[in-house]
Amino acid sequence: MKKLAIIYVCLIGLFLLYIYRYHFEISHLRLSSQEETAFQGKPNEKYVMITFQSGMDYWKRCLKGFEDAAEELNVSVEYRGATQYDVNEQVTVLEQVIARKPAGIAISAINPTALTKTINKAVEKGIPVVLFDSNASGSKAFSFLGTNNYNAGVTAAHEMAKLLGNKGNVGIITSPYQLNHQERTRGFIETIYQKYPQMHVVAVKNGKGDVRASKQAAIEILEDYPDVQGIFATEANGGVGMAEAVVMLNKKHVKLISFDTEKQTLDLVKKGVIAATLAQGTWNMGYWSLQFLFQLHHRLTSSSRSGDLPLPVYVDTGITVVTKENVDRFYAR
Amino acid sequence: MLGVRKRWRVRHWPIRYKFVSLLLISMIVPALGLGGLVSWAVDRIIERQVNENTLQLISQVNRTLEFYVNNMQNITYLIAFNPETKAFFDRSTSSDEYEIRQFLQGITTLYPEIAGILVVNQHGDYISNEMYSRSSQPLTEESWYQEAVKNKGIFKMIGHPGGRNVLSHANYSSEEVVSAVRAILEPETQKVKGVVLIDLKLRVIAEATKNVRLGKWGHLLVIDERGESIYTPSPSPLRTIPLRWVQGNSGTFSKEINGQHIQLIYQRSPFTNWTIIGVFSGNESALEVMEIRFYIISFIFFVCFIALGASYYLSFSLSRPISQLTAFMKKAQAGDLTVRYHDERMDEIGILGRSFNHMLDQMQRFISLAEWQERQRWEAELRELQAQIKPHFLYNTLDTIQWMARKKGADDVAEVVGALAKLFRIGLSKGRNMILFAEEIEHIKSYLHIQKVRYKDKLNYTFDIPEHLQQFYVLKLLLQPIVENAIYHGIKQRRGPGHISIQAEERDGTMYIRVKDDGIGMSRERLEELRKSLTIDFTAGDQEGKMRNIKGYGMVNVQARLQLTFGPSYRLYIDSEEGKGTTVMIVHPMIMNLS
Repeated sequence: MKKLAIIYVCLIGLFLLYIYRYHFEISHLRLSSQEETAFQGKPNEKYVMITFQSGMDYWKRCLKGFEDAAEELNVSVEYRGATQYDVNEQVTVLEQVIARKPAGIAISAINPTALTKTINKAVEKGIPVVLFDSNASGSKAFSFLGTNNYNAGVTAAHEMAKLLGNKGNVGIITSPYQLNHQERTRGFIETIYQKYPQMHVVAVKNGKGDVRASKQAAIEILEDYPDVQGIFATEANGGVGMAEAVVMLNKKHVKLISFDTEKQTLDLVKKGVIAATLAQGTWNMGYWSLQFLFQLHHRLTSSSRSGDLPLPVYVDTGITVVTKENVDRFYAR
Repeated sequence: MLGVRKRWRVRHWPIRYKFVSLLLISMIVPALGLGGLVSWAVDRIIERQVNENTLQLISQVNRTLEFYVNNMQNITYLIAFNPETKAFFDRSTSSDEYEIRQFLQGITTLYPEIAGILVVNQHGDYISNEMYSRSSQPLTEESWYQEAVKNKGIFKMIGHPGGRNVLSHANYSSEEVVSAVRAILEPETQKVKGVVLIDLKLRVIAEATKNVRLGKWGHLLVIDERGESIYTPSPSPLRTIPLRWVQGNSGTFSKEINGQHIQLIYQRSPFTNWTIIGVFSGNESALEVMEIRFYIISFIFFVCFIALGASYYLSFSLSRPISQLTAFMKKAQAGDLTVRYHDERMDEIGILGRSFNHMLDQMQRFISLAEWQERQRWEAELRELQAQIKPHFLYNTLDTIQWMARKKGADDVAEVVGALAKLFRIGLSKGRNMILFAEEIEHIKSYLHIQKVRYKDKLNYTFDIPEHLQQFYVLKLLLQPIVENAIYHGIKQRRGPGHISIQAEERDGTMYIRVKDDGIGMSRERLEELRKSLTIDFTAGDQEGKMRNIKGYGMVNVQARLQLTFGPSYRLYIDSEEGKGTTVMIVHPMIMNLS
C-alpha cells in the first residue's frame, strides 16, 4: 500500500510537472503573439482614408504619411474617395466604407456639414473617425488634424504685404464652398483689412479646384482689375492656373502666392512665376491620422475607456512659406 | 547470480506481482499505443493540411498579385490608346500636357495602389503627375527604358527600381515600390515610340503577403525570376533564397539554416514570373498539435491512475486470500492442526479454503482415532501379559504339590497350599495393577516359601528393604518373574546351597530394587541375547514379530510392563558372570498414592 502511495505521488508529481510545463509553453506562445499585438496591429486591420477629388496630387503626400504609419504599425490601409468634387459621392463612399466595418476612418470632409450625419453614424457603430485637412466641426469625430486655415490666410496676407510693400489691390482665387478655403480667404481678407489699410481685396473668384477654371478666373481678375498687384490662390490647382494666366497675359509684375507644394507649383516657384507658396504638413496629417486611429482602435490611452476625449481634439500640422530661397528643400529627395 | 536470475523469472514471482503486471500491461500498453498512434496520425495530418493550406494561401496571394500586375498591364494599354498620349508619343504639336495629366490623374484615382505613372517618348520628353527626372540626362538612357525596348512591347516587371534617375514627389523610395515598364511600338514598323513606367506600391504586395501567417513566425516572401527579393518581411531568417532551390512551378522542401529546421513551400506565377515562398519552422508544432498532445498525455496519465489503483485492488483481493491460505497451510504443516480458514467468499479460493478446513477436520479425527486405538491395544496387551503369568505359575505350584505328595506326608502339603493361597490372593489383587511394595514383598516371600519347600537348604534368601520404601506402590508381580528366573536359571543348577538377596534403595527420587543370586550365572552370549531382548521398545506398539523369539520371557514381561506403564526410562538392568551369579536391577518410580 505504501509502495502504491509512493507511485501515485510520483505520477501526480510528474503530471503536475507536465501540466506546468505545458501551460508555461502555451502562455509563452500566446504571450509572444500578444507582445506583437501590443506594439503592432494585425495585417487584417484595415484603416481607410477617404478624400474627395481622390486623384488629386495633394492627397498623395497625406496618403504617403498614412501608409508610412501603417508600415510601422503593421496594419493595412485603403485609400478611397469621391472621384470628383461631389458631396453625394463622398457620402456614398463613406457609407460603403462604414458598411465594411474598418478599424478606423480618416476623412477629409468635402463640406463642413454634409458629412456630419454619416460620420456620427460611423462613430456610433464603434468605428474611430478622425478628420484631416478639412474639418466637419459639428461631427462626433474624435480629432481634427490639419492646417489652421485662418492662420494660413493670415500668413499669406503678411507675405503678400511684404511682397507688395504694404500697398496695392489683390485678388483671391478660391473654392468658396469648402470650409478650409473659406477660412484661408477669411484670414487673408481680414488681415489685409485690419493690418494693411493701403491694400484692398478687390476680387474673390471661384477656381473650382481646377487648373483651367482657375486660369479663367485669374484672367477675369486681371482683365477686370488691371491694377491688381497680387493674387492669392487658396489651393494648388488655382496656383498653377493663375500662373498660366499671368504668363499668358504677360503680367509678370503680378505677385502670386499659391498653396501647397505640388511639383508644378514648386517648379513655378523656382522659375519665379509664383513668388511664394504655403506648404502644409500634409504628410503629418496622414501619418498622425493613422496613429490616432490606431490609438483609438486599440484603446491604448486609459481615459479612452471612460469615454472622455483621449486625444487632442485639434492638431495644427503647421504651415511653411516656400520661396525661391528654400524651394529645393521641398522637392523629393 | 543464478539465484538472482531465477528470482526474476516470471514463474517465480509472487502471484500478486503477476496480477499487477498483467493488469498494468493490459491497460497501459494499449493506452500508450493508442496515444502514440493518435499523436503520430495527428502530426502527419496536420502537417499535410498545413502544407496544403499554405499552398492554397500562396496561390491566393499569387492571384492577388497577378490581379494587381494585370491592372498595371491594362493601364499601359489604356495609356497607349489615349489619343493625347499617342500625339505625345508622336511629338505632334497638338499634344496637350494638361489633358494627359488629367487622364493620368484619372487612372491614379481609380487605382490608389499605383504610386506613380511616367510616360516617356522616344525623345526623352516625359509627362507625370508624381514623378520627375533627377538629372538632365535623357530618360531614354535609363536601364528601365532599355529593358522596355528590349522586351518589344511586352509588359515587363522590373522589380525594385534601384538606381534610376526618377524621383517620386510623394517620396516613395525604390524599396517601397515595384516597377513595371512597357514599350509602345509603332504597329507597322515595330519602332519604339515611347515607354510607360508604372510604380506599384509595395504596400499592396506586403498587405497581401503579411496577412498570411504560418505557425509561430512563418511568413511568405516574394522573389522575382532573377532571385531578387520583391518583398521580405523584416524578421526573416532568410534574406535571400538561392534561385536553384525553387526550380519548377511549385514544390516543398526543407533546409537546415542556422541550426533551425526550416520548411519551405513555393509556387511560381507564370504571369508575373514571381515566386512566392512560404517559410516556416519545420519542427515547431502548432498550438493545435500541442493541445492534442496535451489531451493524449493527460489521458495516458489518467489511465495510469486508474490502472494502478484497479490492478492493486484486484490483485490484492485475489492474492490476499491465497497468501492467507498459504500461511494457514504453513501453520498446519508445522503441526498446528487447530487453524481454520474463515471467509464467506464463494469463489474458487473460498472453496479451496473450505476444502482445507474439511481436510484438517478429517486429519484430526483420524489422528485421535489412531491414538485411541493405540491406547486400547496397550491396555489389551498389558492385560494379556498379566493373564499369561497366572496359569504358568499355577502349573509349577501344582507340580510341586504333586512332587511333595509323592515323596512325603500331608503336613507339608498344608503349608505349601497355605502359601499358594496367599500367592493367589496377592496375584489376583482384585485386578489392580499397582500394589503396596509391602504387599509385593509379602507375595514374593510366599513364593519363596513355596520354593523353599521344594529346594530345601539349597535355596536361601534375604530381604534388605527399608521400612519407608514399603509404603510406596509398585507394579504388581514385579519381583516374582525375576526371582523365579534366579531360582530356575541360577540356584537350581548350582552345586550346593544358593542364596538370593533382594534389596531396595531410594536414590534421587527413584527406587532401585536389586535381585541378586549366586547361581551359575550366564554365559556372555546368553547375557547379550537377553539384554537385546530387553531393548525392544514396547511403547512403539506392535512388536509381535520380535516377541516371538525372545529369551527370558518373565524378564521381558516385567520390562514390558515397566516401560508401558512408566515410560522408557524405567526398566531392568541385568548383569551376570558365568559361575558367579546374576544381578537384576529394577528401576522403578516412587509412587506415593494412586490417583
